[in-house]
Amino acid sequence: MLDTATVDRASTFAPTWSGVIRHLHITPRAFLPMRSMPELNLVAGKGIEGDRYMIGREEGYYSSKPEEGRQVTLFEIETLIALKRDAGIDLGPEEHRRNVTTEGAPLTHLVGKQFWLGQVLLEATRLSIPCRHIEEVTGKSIFDPLINRSGLNCKILKGGTIRVGDAVRNA
Amino acid sequence: MAGLPVRGIKTVVEAIEDGGPGIKVYTLCDPDRWELPPFKPGAHIDIYLPGGLVRTYSLCNDPADDKRYVVAVKREADGRGGSIAFHDGVKAGDTLVVSLPRGGLRIDGAHHVTFVAGGIGVTPFLSAADYLARRGGDFTLHIIARGEPPLAAMLAPHRASGHAIIHDTRVSARPTLDALIDTAPQSAMLACCGPLDMLDAFERATQGWPAERVHVERFVAPALPIDPEARPFQLVLARSQREIEVRLGQSMLDALLKAGIDIPASCCGGICGACRIDWLEGTPVHRDRVLSPAERARSLMACVAGSAEERLVVDL
Repeated sequence: MLDTATVDRASTFAPTWSGVIRHLHITPRAFLPMRSMPELNLVAGKGIEGDRYMIGREEGYYSSKPEEGRQVTLFEIETLIALKRDAGIDLGPEEHRRNVTTEGAPLTHLVGKQFWLGQVLLEATRLSIPCRHIEEVTGKSIFDPLINRSGLNCKILKGGTIRVGDAVRNA
Repeated sequence: MAGLPVRGIKTVVEAIEDGGPGIKVYTLCDPDRWELPPFKPGAHIDIYLPGGLVRTYSLCNDPADDKRYVVAVKREADGRGGSIAFHDGVKAGDTLVVSLPRGGLRIDGAHHVTFVAGGIGVTPFLSAADYLARRGGDFTLHIIARGEPPLAAMLAPHRASGHAIIHDTRVSARPTLDALIDTAPQSAMLACCGPLDMLDAFERATQGWPAERVHVERFVAPALPIDPEARPFQLVLARSQREIEVRLGQSMLDALLKAGIDIPASCCGGICGACRIDWLEGTPVHRDRVLSPAERARSLMACVAGSAEERLVVDL
């Protein structure tokens, strides 16, 4: 069992890393293909302009189950590389159905923490979990290989425009 | 803004056009003209019609046309009601929810495809004809019809190129399927869609062909992959004193939702824990990866659990 000191130390430890935004995607409604975008406008406390989970105009597959941390979702490009390497599955950044594909950012370590996405400040609320819905949409058997590395759900503390190529860094 | 769960793709009816005798052609689009989920040549969608009917229709447009789903519906006065609900109840501008496209013809790599269609049975082959024509594929589309062929406008470019041949049984004798198949190269893929007697005749006529190069379009929903150990069972809801059937290939969660019982669910794959319910009697078959052995002694995950016995009692 982890002792309190370990947990406290880990919660304050700021690992050295720097990431970058590789891809941005949105879709206005459940089931529709994700569209690649050069930039996205993130609204604090609401979501992404034009995306299906923007609070106030939800049309996402999970919109009937409201969740504050679904304002923006992130996914590691390293997982796509691992899927190909370890399972022979080609999954593109437009297929994982998260909004932001990052490289170099340890997303699974960021739950409960704040970090910057370009000029936008996020707080990670929980790890995403895979769902059968994504298998239905993509036609690919990716549920099992995505367990524990299916992305990160975040709420937007400070809004703004993010662009492909922007840095991802600790707050 | 919590609403009802999203069950399908929201589309609007952009246009309704005449498709020939008794046939209407419906063009469905996303409300913002966003790209629609992709489909394969010969694929079909379920459409949720006014009055609660769900019907399956072939997509008639080229799969490269990624912003439209085009379906052709022939009014069948003696049918099960779907075509009448469509013709009489659906207007331009209406919203229709449809499923993800399913199925399709395996025509990639075929040296030649010979399609045989009876009347409105041409619909699954139109998207395939457009697809093959665009890619320079070799094919012949035979349409056997009495009088004016269905969907003449969609067929026109394929008739002009010599790929589509209309056999009008008012002006000439109905060709035998043997005769049509005899014109196909030995390496051809053969596909047929039409009335049941035509499909049966086609199956007889193609008995000598390799099965992987024969496709019969029967408009029957594809079978769900079924756990060989799974059995249908009665689910008894102890508190509400109801009993519902969980069919072979159906999840307990789906049966509960269809019975109007609102069970929270999310991943539908047995890991998120959202659809956990308690069971009271029987022998659940646990297939989740979230409950501990101790938790399984009283709970199950409705999205993946089955029953080893004919009856399972749950605390709902």
